[in-house]
Parts: sequence; C-alpha cells; structure tokens
Amino acid sequence: MRLVSRKAISKTASAAIIVIIIIAIIAGGLAWWQTQQKAPTTTSSASPTSTTKTSTTSSATATTPKISVIKIGLVEPLTGKYAVFGLEAKEAAQLIVNIINNELGGIKSLGGAKIQLVVQDAGETPDDARLAAEKLITQYHPTIIIGAYISRLTAAVAQVTEQNHVILFMDGLVDSLTQHGWKYVFRVAPKASAHGKSAVDFVLDMAKKKGLKIKTAVVLHEDSIFGTYTAEGAVLELRKNGVEVLDDISYPDSITDFSSIINKVKADNPDIIITIPYFHDGVLFAKAVQAANIHPMFIAGAGACGYTDPDSIKAAGKAVLWYTNTYSYNPYRPTKWNQKIVKMFEEKYHKLPTEAAGIMFYTMMTIYEALEKAGQMYPSNPLNADNLRKVLLSLDLTDNNSIAAQLYPTGHIKFAPNGDNLYAGTAVLQVQMINGKEVPVLVWPEPQPGVHPVFPRPDWHGSGSG
Amino acid sequence: MGLGTRRNLIVLAIIVAVLAIIPFALGFNQYYILLAATSLIFAVFVIAWNIIGGYAGQLDLAPMAYIGVGGIVTAELLKYYGITPWVGMFIGAGASMALAAAVGYPTFRFGIKEVWYALLTASLVVILNNITHLPQVLGSFDHYLPAKTGWYYLIFYRYQNIYYVILGLFVATVLINLLISNSKTGYYLRAIREDELAAEALGIDVRKYKLKALLTYAGILGFTGYLYIVLQGTYSYQTFNSPTSLSIAIMGIVGGLGSIAGAFTSAMFLKTVEEYLRGTIGATIPGLYLLIYGILLIIVGIFKPEGIAALFNWVKKKVGFENRGM
Amino acid sequence: MIEPIVVVSNIIDGLLMGLLYSLVALGLSLIFGLMDIINFAHGDFVMIGAYLAWILAMNFMVDPSVTALITVPLFFVIGLAVYKAVIEPILGAEPLIQIAVTVGLGFVLQNIALAIFHAEPRSYPAPALNFGINVGPITLTAAKLVAAAVSLASLLLIHYMLTRTKFGLAIRATSANRMVAPLMGINVGKVYAVVFGLGIALTALGAALYMSWGQVNPYLGASFSLLSWVIVAMGGLGGVVGVLASGLIVGVLEALGSTFITPSARMAVVYLAFFLLLWFRPRGLFARR
Repeated sequence: MRLVSRKAISKTASAAIIVIIIIAIIAGGLAWWQTQQKAPTTTSSASPTSTTKTSTTSSATATTPKISVIKIGLVEPLTGKYAVFGLEAKEAAQLIVNIINNELGGIKSLGGAKIQLVVQDAGETPDDARLAAEKLITQYHPTIIIGAYISRLTAAVAQVTEQNHVILFMDGLVDSLTQHGWKYVFRVAPKASAHGKSAVDFVLDMAKKKGLKIKTAVVLHEDSIFGTYTAEGAVLELRKNGVEVLDDISYPDSITDFSSIINKVKADNPDIIITIPYFHDGVLFAKAVQAANIHPMFIAGAGACGYTDPDSIKAAGKAVLWYTNTYSYNPYRPTKWNQKIVKMFEEKYHKLPTEAAGIMFYTMMTIYEALEKAGQMYPSNPLNADNLRKVLLSLDLTDNNSIAAQLYPTGHIKFAPNGDNLYAGTAVLQVQMINGKEVPVLVWPEPQPGVHPVFPRPDWHGSGSG
Repeated sequence: MGLGTRRNLIVLAIIVAVLAIIPFALGFNQYYILLAATSLIFAVFVIAWNIIGGYAGQLDLAPMAYIGVGGIVTAELLKYYGITPWVGMFIGAGASMALAAAVGYPTFRFGIKEVWYALLTASLVVILNNITHLPQVLGSFDHYLPAKTGWYYLIFYRYQNIYYVILGLFVATVLINLLISNSKTGYYLRAIREDELAAEALGIDVRKYKLKALLTYAGILGFTGYLYIVLQGTYSYQTFNSPTSLSIAIMGIVGGLGSIAGAFTSAMFLKTVEEYLRGTIGATIPGLYLLIYGILLIIVGIFKPEGIAALFNWVKKKVGFENRGM
Repeated sequence: MIEPIVVVSNIIDGLLMGLLYSLVALGLSLIFGLMDIINFAHGDFVMIGAYLAWILAMNFMVDPSVTALITVPLFFVIGLAVYKAVIEPILGAEPLIQIAVTVGLGFVLQNIALAIFHAEPRSYPAPALNFGINVGPITLTAAKLVAAAVSLASLLLIHYMLTRTKFGLAIRATSANRMVAPLMGINVGKVYAVVFGLGIALTALGAALYMSWGQVNPYLGASFSLLSWVIVAMGGLGGVVGVLASGLIVGVLEALGSTFITPSARMAVVYLAFFLLLWFRPRGLFARR
C-alpha cells in the first residue's frame, strides 16, 4: 500500500515517452510523406484530368462520357435548433430533383443523366458541418454541394469544398461568405445586407407615395452574424436617407422576455421600427408590442425569418398583422414555373414554401441549367469544377430563357466573379387580413394582383409625436 | 493498485501504436481521419477532465471555458502578431490556468463543492459566452484562422498531420494522468474525493491539491484549445458552448471516474457513435441519435454507474481468474 | 441616455418575471432539498408543459393559462411516473451520475418534442390576456401580471403547506433526517414520490402561465434549467422565502443587464452575481446552518 517509488516510474515513464515519441514521429513523417505524394491529385469529385490527358483516363471518357448519374450533395441542418430550415430545404430539393429527373427528363445534353441527391446533416456546430461535408466528398464524390443555410455552418462547409475543388452553392446569406476570396462558391440568393437595405427602401418608398416623412427609426436585431449584417445594411440605408437611428439594439434569439427592449423602444418613440428577428423571438416581439400599446407609423421586418411565414402567423395571430418581411423568395411571383412548383410543393407537403424552400428551388434549377449548358460547352469533361465554374459565370438567366429565373424575385440571375448574383433582390411580404384570416401577401416591388400594401399602420397615432 | 505501472505503459504503447496506424488503415480517407481526430481530441479533453472530475471528484462543467480561452488566445496571437502556435499554445495554456486560478482559488477557499461547484462552472461557460459576444470583444462574428498551411501555423491541407499532433498530446495527457495517479498528489486527491472532511483531518491541504488538479486540467485544455479551433475552422463566442462542455463531463462519467482507460474508451466510443448515428439516421429521423444518446446515458447511469471502467475490471477479473485456473 | 422611466419599467418587469422564475425553481428546490436529487432536466419539463398548454389552448380556444387546470394534475402523475422510472434508481447515487441521468432525460424530452412538434415555435395566437395596462407612464402586460400573481399565490400556498400541514411536517422531517423519519411513521418513499410529482406539477403551472404571452420550441428548457438552479443555489435551502427572494433578484439583475449593457450579455450579469454571492455566502442567501 505504500507509494510506488517515484524514481522507478520516472525511469520507465521516460523510456516509454521516448519510444512513443519516436513512433509518433515516424508515423507523422510517413503521413506527411503520404500527403506530399497525394497533394497534386486531389480526391475531387470532378475528374481532375485536364483535356490533354483525357485519352489516358478510363475508356468511357473518349468523347462523350457516359454519365448516368450526377450526384448533388446537400448539407443542411436537419437536427438541432436550425432543423426547421434544413428540413424544408431538403423537402424542396427532393421535389426539384423529381421534376428534373422525371418531368424534364434529366440533363438532356448529358444523355438524360439523372440527378441523385445525397443528404448529410450539418448539425448545429461548425465541426458537425465540416464533418458532414468531408463525409459527402470522400464517400459520394458529389459534383456540386449545396449548403448549409446557417452562415457559420456554410463557412465550415466552404472550407472543405474549397480545398477539394468542389462547387458549393451557398444558401447562407451572410455577406462575408463571398468575401473570403473562395473560388468555387456561388450564391443565387440575396445577401443579408441586401435584405436590410430592401426593408428600408420599401418603407421609404411607401412613405414617399403616401406623402409621409420619416425622421426617426429604431433598429432591433437578433445578435447572430446574420442579424448583425442585415441590421448593418438597414442602418446604412437609413442614415443615407437622412433618417436618424435612435437605437440599434441587439438581443439573443433565445430571449424569453422582451420587456426591457420594449420599454426602451417606447421611450425612444420612433417613427418606424426595423426589426430583424430570428424566428421564435419574432412571435414574442410582436406579442410584446401588441401588449405594450406602441403605435409607430410602421414596423418592418427584414431578413426572411419570422412574422410573415405561415408558422409565425399561426403562432402570433393578430399580433403580426401589417408586419412585413423581406424574402429571398416570392411564392406569389406570377410566372408559369413558379406557380407550378409552389402548387406541387403545397400538394406534396401541405404548406406554403418559404425562404429555405424557395432558395432551394432556384438554386437547384440554376444548377440544372448550368449542367445542361456544361454538356454543350464541355462535352468531354462537363463535370470538372473549373469547367462548371466557367459555365456558371457565363450564365445570364432571365424569365424568358430559364426556369430558375422564373423562380427568382427579380427574374434575373447572373453571377459576379465572387459568386454573388449581380441582380439579387428581395420581395416584401406583408401580413394582411383577408376574409377574416391573417395571410401573407406580396406587396413590393410590385404588389400581387388585387393587393395593396397597408401603410402606415392603421393603428398609428398620427404624426403628432414626430 | 490494480495494474503495475510498467504494464500501464505497455498498454499505452500498444494503444498509441494502433492509433498511429489508423490513418493508414483508413486509407487516408479524409472524412474518417477528421472523425478520428475529433474523437481523439475529445479523448484528450475527457482524460484531462479525469484529473479534476475523476481523481479530485469535482464536477467541473467548464471544459469549454478553458479550451476556448486557450484556443482563442493562441489563435489571436497567430492572427495579429504572427506568433506560431508552438509558442502560442503555451501562452494559451497559461491564460487558461490564470482563469482557472482566478476562479478556483476563491471557490475552493470558500469551500464550494458538489452541485454548487458544478453550477458555478456551468455558469462560467455562459459568462464567457456572453462577455465575448460583446461587440468590443469578439462580437457576433465568426473569426477565421489565417488562410495558410504548414507546420508553422499547425494548419494543414489534409487532416493526418493534425491527427498526429493530437496523438502526441494524447500521449502527454495520459502520462500526466499516470504520473498524478501514482504520486502523492494522486493519493491525496482520491482521499479528498472519498471524504473531504476526513482528508482534512489527516492534515491534507485540501484547497492546495484541488487547485493543483484544476490548474493541471485547465492547462492541458488550454494547450489543446488551438487544435480544437483548427478542427472547427472558426472561433467565435459560440466556442464557449454549454452543451459541448456538458458532453465532455458526461463522457468522463460514462467512462468511470478515475479510470483513464474508461475515459478514453467512452470518448472514442460516444463521439464515434454520435457521428455514426448522425451520418446514418440523422438525415431521415431528426434528433433520433440524440434520443438514443439520452437513453444510453440513463441506462448507464442507472445500471452501470461505475461506468465503462467497471466493464474493464470485470474482463480483467475474468482473464485473471482463467489464468489462475490454467 | 437611458431614461429613468425605462429603468423603472424594466425593474418592474424584472420583478414580474422573477416571480415566475421562483415558481419554476421552487419545484427544483423542493426536490433537491428533500431528496438531494440533482435534476438537470427541470427546464425541459417546463418545455413539455408549455407544449401541452399550447395543444389544449388550441383545441379548446382558451387562454393557455387556463389549461393549467388540466396540465398541473396531469404533470403530477407524469412526475410520479418519472420518479419511479428514472429518479428512484439514482437516489443516493453520486451527484455526477444524477447529472448524467437527468441530462439524458432532458435529451430524451427535447428530441421527443422535436420529433412531434418540429423546431417551429408554437404559441397561442389569440391569448385573452395579452393586452397592456397603463399605470401612469408605465405599461404592464396583463398576462404577466396574472402570471406573477398566480406564482406568488402558489408560492404562499406551498409555504403554508410546508409550515402548517401534517404533510409539510413530514417533508421537513424527512429532509432534516431521512434515517429518523421512518421511525416516526413517515413513509419516505411516498413523500419522495409526492414531492417529485409536485415539483414537476409546478413546472406545468409556470409553463401554462408563461404561454399566455410566450412561445415554445424544443430548446426552451435550456433557458429555464440553469436559471432555476442558480435561483435554488442563491436561495440556499431557505425554503419558499429563499427561492422567492433569489428569483426576484435574478429577474431584476436580468432586467438591469438588458438595460445597461445589452440583452445579449444579460445572463453574464446574473451569473457573475451568482459567482460573487456563492463565494461570500457559499450556502446561499438564506442558509440555515
């Protein structure tokens, strides 16, 4: 029971340490050597062979490669607190893949090749997302990956796809995602600050039409990176138009009580409130405003989360009446394909497609059109990432020539070299009372048929205070 | 003492040899290596946790606080002053130990233990999360490591190198554990865990030894923090993540308090199972793997509270018995 | 910059929230004080209770707070079942084991909720009580006033039960000395089960009241679990009074943190105060030595 002699331990221990370190160094060195060997030929999904080497690859790639299946990877948060978006995105992707494979007959320029969706859960944290992306690439070798809605997950995925030279279509909206100098990333959807700017532009436009003057504003935003960027876009646009920003308040989306913020807003007494909620907090905020007797000229949401989506309306009821929000997608856009896909989605899933689904609609369709074009431009090696990149940069999609553009709010998709859509824009939906029910309707840039934007809020005190 | 020290080291050497071969066995499949590296770094965390949780019996729920502080300090030093992580990791470990001392000294001084200690440490993670979230500190943004690769930065194009670095740390952590376990400190810590008042009556400076355990643990975590950030790719206020913190402590508990082998097995097993379930059924039935994880915890807690370590002891006894029989 | 009226309103709102926190934490305090069970799933019961209140409110089109009449007795029964299945086996186990088991229980509850209700927030769209009452320049939400009043009444009722009834005496005797209690003819197992059921029932009451203006999602529990524990720790084992006082303190600190720093860092204020308090009063504010 006495203590073991310390000397003996140190001796054996040091011997063992030396042995182990030697093993580790040898193994590490071998691994390093292995890396050096493997570095030039990456395990990229697309065949890395250049055109000159084509003949040396498998016999099938002589002139027209026999591509029967094109794998598209989907990394979306299917579990955890962001699951609500990922699940809808997945549903939308499955619907579009069905349409491409069955109704459109696959990718015609590639001999009717079918799209196969491979799905991975991006989880809740960047390391989950990173693992998911690694797994997709090493096990399925997808040609293109789409992901991951939440920006920090998207960034984690992008680091992996960039290393492996796989094209990533991002449905995360944070501005910085296209500012890292990443080469293989594309984003059809409008970025966060564009959402903030659109919300302000909409309100100012309405005020101008009604002959009202907006002098002061308060900006409220949930404190994620997305909310922060969106708020930045809104604040910049407000200041540019001479509106005084009395307060810019951030709060965590897990907030359970809005009282302290509401009291502050009440004391500020602004003309308008621009609010960027996450989801749960939007319901809470609207109810708190309702209870606190705050009556500003207008309350506009930004950032496509909360207020006007069916679940929020169901949860908040009258409290969200006349609230607006900016969307990367407009389910009411009156184009042939848009109405068709919305109808199919509703039939299949019994709900209106919202942001996550909408982005997936036009992103998948953009991919479809890019693959069609790749088959024509690079028949020998259409799925190579660099070729696909060139194809994507050459696309100029409008309502007349493309399905994807018909699904997009502005009806125009053309990529800038950083991967962002040059013609990005959002739609503004407003919750209105129609036939005794609260429903979201499109009010801006062009109102949907038979609809007029409600502005200012009917319960506004009037301009007395301003 | 169940096992002789030499036998411990032989077992360790075998395990390390097996771990060293893993990347080759996996054919350098990057997904599996990243998974292995993630599991292994959690094994390091859990084995380090074993010092404070297993030996000293303090329910520390703040591993992410020390990992975050050490890792972020190292990362910021690299980013803004170009200091290589080889140096920065020591500074990061120092920062974590300073934090541990600042928290631990008064906490042990005022005799806070058991649930109260657990609550205090759980709060520490939330406090750091909230404070670093302020715009003056890290803000809402994700911070990225420099877009460079190489040994100077400890960032690599492929994952095997980082895997071996983590393996090296794993060895160091196990050896530190063994040294503590077989030293005077180890005996004192176990005495404190069994009965703090009795230990004090025997003249053991309870505060000093608890603080020693806490500092060692925080130092290892702070040192490893940077590698965790490298695996994550980014750092932000969300690095101070309460559920992850809790899961490290849980892996330690499931492994069996005070057992290095148990800690190692449970970290490797639970992390791998978690990823496997997420990868296989996560896409079809959301949350099911967490449900299974929860049920597993309840079962282990109720039926095998001694943790996986008890399983080893059982096997050992069986083997020993058979040996004698022959 | 910050007007006094904002500070005053926020403190009042903080006090109202604090009463609700106290109500939820009281269940935890009773359970821990009596049987030394460390329940880390307490907040998740609030979450389940909130869903239940929401379902009933939606079906019968009544304000969620009214549903407490059904959910509270139901949760008492659920509490008994959980006690038998999960808690009884870990009575007297190491604190770490209890934490592991109850965290596991929390995972199970969260993910059952996720599977059934998905991650969308749920909330009753037309609560009757969600309107403002003007008291001078301050506007108070009726639902919150009701929640605070009901919470206070329940706290007083339980205080009365603990101090004046035979069953309360049994609880106090058992928590004072569980070896001697059986000798005095107290069925310890029964007392444990009933108190656990009561503690869980209180979460259902808190959840129903909260749903009058709040919203629920599968991760709501996290907001309540640690906070409830902090309240219990700050109050020490001072019974209802301790829980009430520390609940109010937490509510006010949270409001002040929101007002003077930022809502994002409000919990840091609460937990920092908790640190200092625990350092200087390790047994809580109202410790009985």
